[in-house]
Amino acid sequence: MLNHIPDSIELVDYIDDGEQARHYHFRLLNLKIGQNKNHQHNWQQVQPGQFFMLNVPSVGEAPFTFTEPPNEQGEFRAFIRQMGQVTSALFTMQRGDILGARGPFGSGWPLDKINNNNTLIVAGGCGLAPLVTLIDKLADSLMDKPENKQKLVLVYAARNKATQMLTPERARWQKQIKIFNTLDEYPNASDEYPNASDDASDELPVTTVEGSPLIILPKALSTFTSPPTTALLCGPEVMMNSIATYLTEYGMASDAIFLALERRMHCAVGLCGHCYINHQYVCKSGPTFSWQTLQQLKGL
Amino acid sequence: MKIYLINDLQRLQQHLAKNYQFHQVVTNSDGQCHWQQIASETTKPVVHDPLIYEKPQSSAKAFFFTEQEKVLVFNGEFFQETIPTPKPFVLFGVQSCDLTAIHYQDKFFKDDPYYQARRQQCLLVGLDCITPCEHGFCPTVNAGPGVKDGYADIILHPLANKQWLVIEQTNKGAQALKDLVFTETHWHYLTQRDLVLHQCEKEFPDDKYITDGIQKINSDEISSEFWRKLAIQCLGCSGCTTLCPTCSCYGTRAIKQDNNHFSQQRFWDSCLYEGFQREASFNNPSAEAGTRVQRFWQHKFGDEFFTEFSRHGCVGCGRCEQTCPGVIGIHSVMKRLTEERGQKNGQEDTNA
Repeated sequence: MLNHIPDSIELVDYIDDGEQARHYHFRLLNLKIGQNKNHQHNWQQVQPGQFFMLNVPSVGEAPFTFTEPPNEQGEFRAFIRQMGQVTSALFTMQRGDILGARGPFGSGWPLDKINNNNTLIVAGGCGLAPLVTLIDKLADSLMDKPENKQKLVLVYAARNKATQMLTPERARWQKQIKIFNTLDEYPNASDEYPNASDDASDELPVTTVEGSPLIILPKALSTFTSPPTTALLCGPEVMMNSIATYLTEYGMASDAIFLALERRMHCAVGLCGHCYINHQYVCKSGPTFSWQTLQQLKGL
Repeated sequence: MKIYLINDLQRLQQHLAKNYQFHQVVTNSDGQCHWQQIASETTKPVVHDPLIYEKPQSSAKAFFFTEQEKVLVFNGEFFQETIPTPKPFVLFGVQSCDLTAIHYQDKFFKDDPYYQARRQQCLLVGLDCITPCEHGFCPTVNAGPGVKDGYADIILHPLANKQWLVIEQTNKGAQALKDLVFTETHWHYLTQRDLVLHQCEKEFPDDKYITDGIQKINSDEISSEFWRKLAIQCLGCSGCTTLCPTCSCYGTRAIKQDNNHFSQQRFWDSCLYEGFQREASFNNPSAEAGTRVQRFWQHKFGDEFFTEFSRHGCVGCGRCEQTCPGVIGIHSVMKRLTEERGQKNGQEDTNA
């Protein structure tokens, strides 16, 4: 039988990052993974790109991605932007408060396809959040070999400097992978250069340009020594749509481009009917789909 | 499988009412038919003959997938499941279209503990339809008029002279009948039943436009403009999705209590509401009414869903036609679909 019941979690801490957005640190309450049989969900097996349902007591549930999967102490992290009723209520909660979580749900990024191959990642705004655990994983595996740095390239698009999110993560990756930033609203010349690095000695220079991520794609693609075999996209659907179209014209196969979708969900187990695209449930078959599948589903 | 010939249906009804909460379709003073519990432990059963010429306004879906269901409670510290514990109940006289829908939902909700807790307590007594009902087209979607094998625990088939054929279908049905001393009858009555059902099928009006419409829905020939125009008539009232025996979309809401306690409910939602897919960011993949209406019909008749459930999501009851104030129920939509000339993506097909 399906389990609709959340496990209790404690709000351990949070830090602000970007416009109305926070990194949340949660802990499964009184539970250590694998040590308590009362544990209702399979938290050991979280894959990058999967999500969980956060239950804010007396308010409701909504899906969020992990930026750090549960560790052995049951601690995990999520990046959450204040948007609707659930997140607004969450933002009023204090450290030590109790909430609920159930998951993990959905299919994550196609790790078998990515597997040490040249990978282009394009993310927009908080669409970077579902990619955090994956980039961490890939960047770490590339760290040992400097020549591999060009195997992973990130294009990160935001409306303006204030809406650039996940700052600590991007600062960390700067040492590991090549990053291109795009801003719809570019700061004045007198403004501080976004993401300028004080210590550039072991960091790859971050390129920041004005406009949509499409503008920087040719340059980002030319960074690779051989064309990328996989592209991972997450952000506004209009953005993903245009990037996927561009990449197929560039020559990538549509089954090598993957998009993570966002949909309203109430159950996350394929019952409530809110998220299906054609006959596929985003909560079960997604949230990651290949561009090929989405085109067959006429999904975007 | 045993078959019985009985003259006194009340005896069967009263027997079942002793062991089950007894529900049957009745007609109210306004002439409307609806399901009603007509006997309980404390009241003496008042039983009527099943209504064989009319269908109830609502199907039986709410008995299993309830309009509102408490799914959990939170005590400030822990979340606890609230599985319902209904007493055994019988639905006496469920028609084939509605039984087909139950069969469909049994599959859809096979792993849902709330649905299954109610479903397992239920004895289904099916009823063959021997005349077509208004707006009904069950034969076209393989959902009637006779009760399909295995879709009910017991089947009732009306014969002439107020006689009834009672057909055991499942062990549960056999158990329910075991203390009754009925006379088993001859198999030839089943042949007679088949003939009656076959005759009934022939009496349904010609509805080739429905099969043609289904084909068109799956053909990629229908422009978004068609759906947009059709959807002008959709008031987003949820009449169709509420009455549709297979519709099962739901939302959830928290019911606040004192001391940080709360319960969570799920409730029937409708994919035709403007806000059904609207996200917190106000991004809405089905903001256009045309998209919502298309999505609804795709869910009922899309080939992909047929593959998954081995049938369409429509059981031919015609309730959407009966209730839709905008006149875009099944018959109206299918007629308009077949009248639609070959258009695709808003472009006139010059070969049409």
